[in-house]
Amino acid sequence: MTSKRLTSLLHVVLVLALVIFGGFPIYWMATTALSLNSELYNTGQVPWPQLGNLPAMLTDLTQLPLMRWLVNTGIIAVGTTTLSLVLGALAGYALSRFRFHGKGALGFLMFMTQVVPEALILVPLYAMFITLGLLNSLLGLVLANVGFSLPVAAFIIKGAIDAVPYEIEESAAVDGCPRISVLTMIVLPIIAPSLAAAAVISFFAGWNEYLFAATFLRDRELWPASVGLASFIGQYETPLSAVMGAALIFSLPAVVFFLLIQRKIVAGITAGAVKG
Amino acid sequence: MSNQALLERPAAVPAPTSRKGRGPQGIARLMPYAFVVLPAAYLLVFMFYPLGRQVYLSLTRTRLANPNRSEFIGFGNYERLFGNPEFYSVLRITLTYSIMAVVLGVAVGMIAALALNRPFRGRTLVRGVLLFGWAVPNVAAALVWLWIFNERSGILNTVVTGLGLERISWLTSTDMALPSILLVTVWQVAPFVMLVMLAALQSVPEEVKEAAVIDGADKLSVFRAVTLPHILPTLQLVSLLVMVWSIRRFDIIYLLTGGGPVGSTSTLIVKLRQVAFENHDLGMSSAYGVVGLMLALTVAAIHALFNIRRQRSSSR
Repeated sequence: MTSKRLTSLLHVVLVLALVIFGGFPIYWMATTALSLNSELYNTGQVPWPQLGNLPAMLTDLTQLPLMRWLVNTGIIAVGTTTLSLVLGALAGYALSRFRFHGKGALGFLMFMTQVVPEALILVPLYAMFITLGLLNSLLGLVLANVGFSLPVAAFIIKGAIDAVPYEIEESAAVDGCPRISVLTMIVLPIIAPSLAAAAVISFFAGWNEYLFAATFLRDRELWPASVGLASFIGQYETPLSAVMGAALIFSLPAVVFFLLIQRKIVAGITAGAVKG
Repeated sequence: MSNQALLERPAAVPAPTSRKGRGPQGIARLMPYAFVVLPAAYLLVFMFYPLGRQVYLSLTRTRLANPNRSEFIGFGNYERLFGNPEFYSVLRITLTYSIMAVVLGVAVGMIAALALNRPFRGRTLVRGVLLFGWAVPNVAAALVWLWIFNERSGILNTVVTGLGLERISWLTSTDMALPSILLVTVWQVAPFVMLVMLAALQSVPEEVKEAAVIDGADKLSVFRAVTLPHILPTLQLVSLLVMVWSIRRFDIIYLLTGGGPVGSTSTLIVKLRQVAFENHDLGMSSAYGVVGLMLALTVAAIHALFNIRRQRSSSR
């Protein structure tokens, strides 16, 4: 009895420690956002969120071009998602339903993209985008991001189609329905939950991306939030509370959506790694 | 269902290459390529052409100011690289960082998975909170951790001085910078390990565990004899994934320390960017990158070998 009580006590302590480690940085982000700068640098930070400072923080926030950054971020993310899903659905369907020459090679190449560091293709893409006139554009960023997110989307979609019985398609094919319509009108609606997971992953790959955006964009007008927020590092003119507020707003959608589809994401990432 | 998708191949679907009622065979045979041509072409243009170009650059003398004009010099960059003591320090830091990220990230993630594998009130909420580090974008994570680590006003040093100890230069001293970055890395990586291992733990067949308990086995031996063998393949997979990601990792290291102080957190990938954009030496930068790629590929190849061996032994 006592040993059982001891184990549950240990369990509670362990869970508590993990919650503090995992949750503290976000708590601290919110707490800092709701602090006065005089506290932060002089009198010492109050270790709990002071909701009364919310209006002041929001006023500081309006001095940042946060809205424009988020719009740019949104454009990159939506572009990355759209292209990844269209190309990923084509590749995923082919990998699941067809047997063809080069299938193994395609799977291998797609797996390879998950090993290649972003930084490794940075310079060649930079040179290529100079030639194509894509250097200082959001479209260029989308094109660069999709190379990494398309294979993940394709693996998730392939896995989902594998689980759909082929007979469902067969009847439609007999009726003379073209193969591409079988995919778009019959298969894709069935795997909608997995498509949503692939969409969320691609969306936030584009939303979070920093290195390409920081290297390829020259106009501040085009900055996404990742580059804009990173520009505060080592800079002390902007109130820290506003910086943390902006970081929180930037993080919130990612946290919400990742929590919603956590299981699907894991299945997708590991499926790609195992079956590639 | 998602638990199963982790490690098992779904049952093979009959591949309908030539079926009745689908027109001439020749066209049916071309069908797969109609689906594949766009994604494949995309990857070739925006991923593998640049990759090949980067490998080629490592064999040339190329300056950043004129990246489209390069002079072929064979293995000159690699000769200079392997003769440079700095390279070995970068390599050592890369390996230390990646291996420690695997050891610590997998340990913390595994402990979290075990702690969450028994039911308790508020478990869903706790799991949500533990996932924060994985879901928060790198740049936002870097900003808050920079503030936590801040030498003068950060919370860590407030605690440290409150205990009567000297302030610690978390990110600005050569002996603390790498451990500090590892702390952030574990915060980001452990949640993913936890999610995957939790799924694996929940797929351990209950009957086998119960049978072992009936046979008089205590908890620890049930874990060793039943649970561990069942989750070991997943554990291997997740370790190798974390290793590859650590070799690739750029954002968080670059944003927290930029590779400093005095190169003490400069991994191959961070160095690659520095040599390209600060020394303007694209050839040498590519050589660093190619070594990084080889390292990641070696790890991936080990993973593939494990996979093949596992499939052989399970198909027997």
